[in-house]
Parts: sequence; C-alpha cells; structure tokens
Amino acid sequence: MSRWKMNRRSWLRGSSGVLLPLPFLNLMESRAQGLSPQSPPIRFVALFKPNGVHPPSWNINGGSEYEFRMSPLMKPFERHREDILILDNMGDFGFSAHQHSSRRFLSGHHGNSKAASIDQLIADHIRGDTLHRSLELTTEGIFPSQIGCSYISFDKTGAPIPRESDPQLVFDRLFRSPLSQPKKRDEMLSLIDRVRDDSKSLERKAGVEDRRTLDQYLSVVRDTEKKLATLQSAKPGKLDLEQLKRPASGGTMNDQVVAMLDLIVLALWTDSTRCATYMLGNENSRMVFDFLGIKEQHHYLSHFFRHFCRENMESLLKIILWHMEKFDYLVDRMKSFRDQDGTLLDNSIVLFGAGMGHSDNHTATRVPTVLAGRGGGMLKTGRYIRYAKNQELSSLHLTLLRKYGIAAESYAGNSEPLPGLNGSDYEPYRERSFESWARSEGTKIFAQGRLRMSDNLDEAKIFYIDVEGQQPLRLEIEFGDFHEFNVAYYCGLPIKIEGDGSDANGSYKITKIRSLQSVFGEKALDAPG
Amino acid sequence: MPESSNLRQARSGRLRVFIVAGMLLLLFSAASKGDDSLADFTLHVRPFLAKYCFQCHSEGDPSASIDLKSPQSSDEIDAAYESFRNAVRAITEQRMPPEDEAKPSPEERAAIEKWYKARFVDNVVARPGPHRPRRLSAREYRNTLRTLFGFDLLANVALAEDTVAETSLVLKLLPTDPPGPSRYRNDTYSNPLSSVAWDSYSQLADSAIEELFSTKRKANLELLSGKVEEAGFSISNAERLLREFYPRALRRPVAEDQVRAAIERVKMASDLVDATRFELKALLMSPGFLYRGLLMETQPGKTQAVDDFELAERLSYFLWADMPDRELSNLAASGQLKQSETLRQQTERMLNSPKATNLAEDWAVQWLLLDNIVEVSTDVPFVVALKSQPIDFIHYLISEDRPILELVDSKVEFINVLTARYYDKDRKQLAPYSRPKGIENEIVPNQKIQLIETSGRGGILTMPGLLAMNRGPIIRGTWILERILGEFLPDPPANVGQVRANKEGETLTFRQRFEQHRAQSTCAICHDKIDPLGFVLESYDPNGALMQNLGSIDTSGNLPSGEAFANVDELKRIFVSSQSETVVRNVVVQLLSYALCRKLEFYDQPVVDEITQLMLKSQGTYRQLIHAIVNSLPFRETVAAGVSQ
Repeated sequence: MSRWKMNRRSWLRGSSGVLLPLPFLNLMESRAQGLSPQSPPIRFVALFKPNGVHPPSWNINGGSEYEFRMSPLMKPFERHREDILILDNMGDFGFSAHQHSSRRFLSGHHGNSKAASIDQLIADHIRGDTLHRSLELTTEGIFPSQIGCSYISFDKTGAPIPRESDPQLVFDRLFRSPLSQPKKRDEMLSLIDRVRDDSKSLERKAGVEDRRTLDQYLSVVRDTEKKLATLQSAKPGKLDLEQLKRPASGGTMNDQVVAMLDLIVLALWTDSTRCATYMLGNENSRMVFDFLGIKEQHHYLSHFFRHFCRENMESLLKIILWHMEKFDYLVDRMKSFRDQDGTLLDNSIVLFGAGMGHSDNHTATRVPTVLAGRGGGMLKTGRYIRYAKNQELSSLHLTLLRKYGIAAESYAGNSEPLPGLNGSDYEPYRERSFESWARSEGTKIFAQGRLRMSDNLDEAKIFYIDVEGQQPLRLEIEFGDFHEFNVAYYCGLPIKIEGDGSDANGSYKITKIRSLQSVFGEKALDAPG
Repeated sequence: MPESSNLRQARSGRLRVFIVAGMLLLLFSAASKGDDSLADFTLHVRPFLAKYCFQCHSEGDPSASIDLKSPQSSDEIDAAYESFRNAVRAITEQRMPPEDEAKPSPEERAAIEKWYKARFVDNVVARPGPHRPRRLSAREYRNTLRTLFGFDLLANVALAEDTVAETSLVLKLLPTDPPGPSRYRNDTYSNPLSSVAWDSYSQLADSAIEELFSTKRKANLELLSGKVEEAGFSISNAERLLREFYPRALRRPVAEDQVRAAIERVKMASDLVDATRFELKALLMSPGFLYRGLLMETQPGKTQAVDDFELAERLSYFLWADMPDRELSNLAASGQLKQSETLRQQTERMLNSPKATNLAEDWAVQWLLLDNIVEVSTDVPFVVALKSQPIDFIHYLISEDRPILELVDSKVEFINVLTARYYDKDRKQLAPYSRPKGIENEIVPNQKIQLIETSGRGGILTMPGLLAMNRGPIIRGTWILERILGEFLPDPPANVGQVRANKEGETLTFRQRFEQHRAQSTCAICHDKIDPLGFVLESYDPNGALMQNLGSIDTSGNLPSGEAFANVDELKRIFVSSQSETVVRNVVVQLLSYALCRKLEFYDQPVVDEITQLMLKSQGTYRQLIHAIVNSLPFRETVAAGVSQ
C-alpha cells in the first residue's frame, strides 16, 4: 500500500532540484487520484539506447526464468527486479547497419520502411481525449550521413517524425501553452490590452506606412484574442498545472536527459499524453560524453574490438552504464507517481533497448530488450526469458499491438506473436549441463566453470569463474594473456582453465593462464564476445 | 454559343471599361503631374510595345516574367523600370523581337531608346526611398534579444560534430523569413506579422525573461537592475530595470510619462517580480520593439534626414544585423553620430568588431547562395569546410579592406585539411593536422594560404564549394551572370525539352549537342550570355576538382560584348578590366540593397552610378564602398508617404 509513496528526498535530488516546487508535491500526495474515473489508461514509452552493447558485460548467461544473476551492466536494475521483464535471444540473424538498427527498434525490421512504427499505432489507439497524441523526443541533432539513424518513430507512410531535444520547449508545449493553461490565457489577454493601447497612442501620430504596419500588427493581435476567447469557454483542466516549474536551460547533457525523463513522466501522469518515444542518442552517435570525463566519440568507442585498449573499454562501459542509469531513473520516477490503485509504472509498458546487439561487429542477434511495468496486468514481470530460438523483434511488436487492443493480423510481415509475456508457455533456451570444480597443485590452479566479467565495472579487467559450492575463482591477468587467449570471447561460456596463481583457503586466483578451452568446443573467432 | 466565347466577350467588355477608366486616370495623373514623359509613353511607346512585344510579354502569358503590358500609370512605369531597361536593351541590341517576328524600323528603335533615356537616365533625380517600418528579421531579432539581455537563447540539444541542429532558440521557433523583393531576408516589408510568429514571439519573450530572472543570469539582471540585495528584487531594482530597458528595447529615448506609468503599475502590483516580468514582455511584444523605423517622427510627403537614432539603427543593422550598442546609442543621443568624421570612425569601429562577420555570414551567404553548398554532401564537416571558404574569403576582403575586384581575382584562399586536396602544392602551407584520438570526423577551422603554385583557383568563381553546388555549365553560367554580373534572366519556357543524347556512332560533346538544342533564336537571347560563362568552367568536375585531362572539352568563348577568352583565367582578367564596371556595379547594388533592406528602384540609379564610378576611379575597396553607402542619400534620408485620404 505504501509502495506508491514517493521518497521525497530522492525526488528532489533526482530531478536536479529544478522541476517541481514543493507545493506541487503536496498536490501530488493529496489530490493525485481520479485523473480518469474508471480504469486508468495504459501508457506506452520507448527508450532507445544507441550503438548496441558490449555483450560480455550485458548478456545474462545461465540461470532460469526466476533464478538468474543480473549481468554487470544490469546491476542497477536489481532493485527493479520485480517490475521488469528481460527478454533474450531477440533480433534478426546476420549483421545490422546503423540506420537499420534504429528502424528495427520500433518497426520490427529495417525493411518495414513504408509503415508506421508501433508507438504511432499505439498512440492513435490509446490517445483518448489527451491534448497531445504522442511525444517524439531525442537528445541530438540530425545525422545527415545516414539520416535514418536520427529517428525511431515513423508515420503511416514510414516517413520519420520530427523529434524535439529541448526540455524547455517540451515543457512549454505541454504545460505553458494557452491551450492548457488558463493563467497563460489571462496573461495574454491583458498583454493584448496593453499593446493595443500602446499602438493606439502611436497611431495618432503615425504616417501612412506606419499605419499600414500597425493595422497588420493589430489584426494579428485581434486574431489571437479571438482564438483565446473560444478557449476561454472550454472546460478547465483536471489538474492545476500552474505550479509546475520549467526545467532550467543549459547544463550538461545529463541534466538535459534527466529533465526530459521527468517531463515524460509528468506528461503521462497528468494524462497530457499517453505515448512517448525518446532516443538517448542517434544510432551511430558521435557524441562525446565529456561530462563523464570521456574525450572519444561514442561510435568510435562502441567498436571496442577494432579500437581495443583498456581505457577505451572503460569509457565504453561508462557510457552504456549511463544509458542504463537513465532507464533506471525513468523506472524509479514512474514508480513514484500514484496512478489509481497502483503506480504509474504499473499502468504502463516501458520498452528499453537497442537495435543491434554486439556494437563492434554489428550482429543483430541478442538485441538488448527490457520491458518495465505490468501494463495494467498485460505483462508478467520479475522474470528473465531467454527464448530457445531467435525471436524477431516484430513478434514482440505484434504482441504489444494486440495487447493494446489493436486487431493486427501481422506486423512487419510477421504474424507470429511472441509467447510468454503474460506468463504463458514458451520454449526456453536450454544449455547443456556441465560440472564445475576448482583445485590447486602448489602454484598451479585447475578449474572448470562459467566465465564472467566482474560485477564491478570499475575493475572491468577482472574476470571470475563460477564454481558451485565455492567462492568464484578470480582471474587477474596481464593484458598479454587477455589478448592471447581472447578471454572476452569466452564470457558467459563454461570453460576449462589451467594457470599459475594462488590459493588462499579455497579462494583461488589465477594470474597467468597456461591453457583455456571451452567445455563444449566453441572456438574464439576474430571478434571476441 | 460555347461558354468560353461568352466569357471572353464578357471579359473584353469589362476590359473596355477598365481601359476607359485607365485612360481617364492616365490623363488625370499626367495632367496633375504635368508629366510630358507619360504622354510620350501613351502616345508613342505603348503603341510600339503593343505592336512588337505584347504578344508574348503581357500578364498571364507563359513567357511573361517580363510584363510590358500592365504598366500604364506613371508610378507603374517607374516600378517596372527594370523590365523597360531589359526590353530597351534587347531592342537596341536587336536581340528582340526574335528572328521570325516583325522587326521595328531603325527610327522606331531610336524613338524607344530616346524615351527610355529621357525617362530613366537623363531626367532621374536621386531621391530616398519611402519610409517603411519593417519587422526585425529572425536573425536581427535573435541578435537584438542577445544584445538586450546579454545572453543568447539556446535550444537544448546535445551536439556532435557531424550532426545538424539549430542551436538558436529564436531561429528554431520563428518562421524562416522568405527573401523579399531585394532577394534578401532582411527585406521584411512585404512579409507581414502572422499569428504563428506572434505565438513564437510570446514564447521567446517568456523564455528570455524567465532566464533573466534565474539564478544563472543574476549578473545579467544586475547589469540592468542594479545589485539585487539579500532581501530580493526590490522596487528600486524594478524601477532601474524599466528605465534601462525601455530605451534600449525601443532603440531610442522614451517619453518620461511612459516609463513612469510602467513603474507605477509595477509598484501597485501585488507581486513585484511578476509585474516587472509582465512589463518587459509587453515591451518585447510591442510594435516599437518588433519593427524598425516605426517610432521616428516623420513629416508626411517631405524628404527628411533620418534622425540620429534611426541612423544608428540603420548602421548597426546593416553591419551587424543587431541593435546599436551603447557607444552608438550614446553618440546618437548626443547628436554627434551624424557628423561625418564620427560616423566614419564608428563605421570603422563596427567593422573591426567580431560582430562584423555578419556581412560575410548573412549578406554574402544570401547574395552568393552559399546555403546551397549544404546540399553537396551529407558529410557535415566537409560541407562546413566548403561553405566556410567563401565566407572566410568575403570576411577577409572586408576586414582587410581589399579592392572590390579581388572578389573574382585573388591570390588568397582559406582552406583546411578537408579541402586541401584542391590546392596542389600550396596545401603544404597548412599547419600539420592530426585528428585527436577517438574522433572520427570533426569540423576544422580554415587557415589562410597564398596561391603560388596552384592553378585554376583564386577568387570566388573557382571555389570548390561553389563549383560543386552549381553542377553543369548552364547552372554555373547562370550563377555567374546573376550573382557576379548582376543580370537576372527570366526562367526558360516550360516546353524546351531535353538535350538529346548522342546517336550511335556520334561523338559530339555535350557543348556541341547543347548548341544544337538551343539553336532557336528565342533561346539565344539568354543563352548567348549564359553559355560562355558556364562552359568555361567545364574544366572542373561536378565536385569542383580541376580535371587533369580535358580531352575534347572546349572552354573558350565570347562575351556578348565581344571579348574572347580561352579559359577561366582569361575570363577573370576580362572581369577585372573591360568588364570591371559591371562587376563593381553589381557589388554596389547588392550591398546597397542589403543596407537599405529593399530592392533598388530607378531613382536609386544615380546613387548606384555615382558610387560605382567613385569605386572604379579609386580602385575602391570594400570599406570605401561601405563608407560610401553609409553616406549615401538613400541611407541618410527618407520620405514618408503623404497623409492618406
């Protein structure tokens, strides 16, 4: 029952202290009921993460639907475990160009270029009487070299929908327009009275040309007045939005994104719109994350094998983690708003993901896909689903369309819905079983078990081998070994290893690798991961 | 009887009424003005035009971008002076009427020429243009707001070097200004205020005022309001702010009772800050702020010198596209600005200011159509490099006070690593550049180089970006004719078809096939002028690179005036010698037009002539030209329309 109650302190801190003044918080706690009398609307949000991921630190390996270990990059989600549904083995076979990845995210397949993306179909269907059909948001400008990289939302002809990057402008559109704000209407009407008086005093001494100019001016003033007069008779909104504080200008990109996420949540909660899409960056983004102390461009770093070095890897992981933190923030925020009997998140579906998996070799398999929120009961969260076979994103999209009540036979040429989202049966991925063990002979260590990266991304060069009933074996090796044995490639796989190291009371550590093989014979390719 | 005939009859009936009314009007206005020239026109010129020209050149006809039929009254003839100039020139040079049409006799031609000379050359007295208040262009509005508040309104967007994003909130929200009759966007007179612009102005005013009162902008606020004490924004802050803001925003002193009234309203209000903000917004939405020239006292029907503040405004919007700064306003207030030495010093000071890049970035970009370079490639840093070359070059010509004719012939060019490949061995003058680690593509500033070993470059005609944006000889030739020589031609007729491909076995060059295609006499009228200017650039490929092997390409040609040239270097020499007057006159027209924010009329021609001759005589530089414009009659004087009935 107290779940929806927000943590006031984290709210103030989280929103960079600028979005809402205190009076609004009171309003939120006391009057937050009854935005819509019967069943609440189910909202849809899509949050796009550009340039794929670093699979060794993203993928979840092993475990089962309910018993699984969050990957290093997903660690921040541990606390949202019950509210999210992680899908694995989603995507297409083969490789994906950047501009195909951004199209795939909400349009199922890059070839589906003459049709609306699902957010637009959903927006049309759930809009109801909201003032804004949908919000299409982004952080960056247009990328002309590959124009498709700049968009994830497309209209019914498949043409890209212009996106907005400025939180202030979004705020103005949502809450400051005379359309939604009686106070703005009143202010404009008194302003009109004033400028009209001023113009009259000018008119007395005006020449012919001056008068012509003033007539033009006054006719626009009159039109504005008329427009406002018709609005004046419209019903006042259900909530008093006058107290909302406009996001500050400037700041880092992080501030810009946090402000935008706050606005998305506020727009959904005030029922100003029910659908929003947001790109954390263009696909192929060349942004420089200087506020994270990084000097290289994101796209350069995302080719982590082509440009491999320890510092580049650390920078890339910082960027991906930042993306994850933004998703985490959005989920947090949506949980903090009460909506009918639950939270705003309970009555929403948030799709977080990318359009490609491996950011260096552009594979379109294992594309990051995480759903948050129960969608009013449409989804069964708290699970990790790894499908036995690759599932096209269009299956997920078709299923979401149907869940939102759109009678779609197929989407992007696919008529197979995705099973399992509401707890129904699906065919899970099954791994061959293997034994795990570790032993030492003097300074020689022998072990078998699943290799993984350290959970702590600050020590991304450390690897562990999980051994049942024991402390995990720690792999703390030089770069030469890492490179020679292509350690990153084997992440997530069961391996057999021999090396030099130490044994402190059954806590093994290898510092020099002698041999390393996959238990089931997978061979390292040119590209790791 | 078919319906169309009925209609035709009805129309011709109506036409007759119009003609009668028109003749009465003509008689009346001719009589009232005592205008012999009009009588001459009605009795001699119009019948000539009716006989030889109306068939094609009348309103509603497909080839009627030249309409010689409509102008009938004295004012209409004046307004159409360019059409008459072109027509008379074509008739005198016997390019018109076309070959297969009836020809006027030598006496008829002489009569027409005589009329034109009397009407538009010999008897024209320079006079200033009409006083017309005009709205700030979006660019001027952005700059004015920035100067007024002390900060730029920015649109929030994460920037990457190879993305394109509008970072100015003003330019993002305001509708784009269409070019006016002068072809410049600061010519806003015929682009009235719209509801869309009104809503944007309102949003922009809100944004600017909100930011002014934010903690981030405390210093900017205090510059206007004086120090804000612990206790918060006080009545004395508000008073000082309004006293400061009113004359700055309106760009001239404001009557004491007007400011007083605003201060009183703020004092009476329940919320001081809200009330002050409202006053500021009302000011920013008022016509006095949004329009230039509206607040000057005028004497209807009389030619008058513009007042000190209008002069400051004209100067500042001309050179900076911005409101006057404090120094300029103070000199206007003390009456010193109009003294010629002060005006000269101020002009120099303003040209030395960083804001003077406006002339290259706004005037030259519009004049030379440099925005088209953006279409050349999707590679943002490369396109920025190509576009910055002519901009940096024009800025150099102005800031280093180079002769006007260096526009077409210069030994200086601005290049960077992305454009270096066009510059042969001279590229070695570039400081070494290496891309920083992890940066895949970035915008690189230009460096000035001397052209010593590079052939085929130097001057505006052969800059890579311009050659790449103008693909093909016809577009290149038209660009030179319009933008450098100042001659604008009508669009070709719609039914000209395409240049045919070579038949099997034929090895004609494009030029040869094109010459067959345009062999018709009506085509020749324009193409005799366009083609030589275009084909001379055939030694550059569509990307603007100089081709190593020209093969059978023929770049030679003749100007209609007779000069022959073998290649672009020879053409440049013609432009700076026998054709220098045409080139200089065009630069004068372009810059004067931009300075006045209007199309030049026949009564501006004496001023254009005078400045052109002055520049030619003294091998004039860009700054000399700017000083001449600032001192010119149309810049310094104005005439307000008479009292309306």
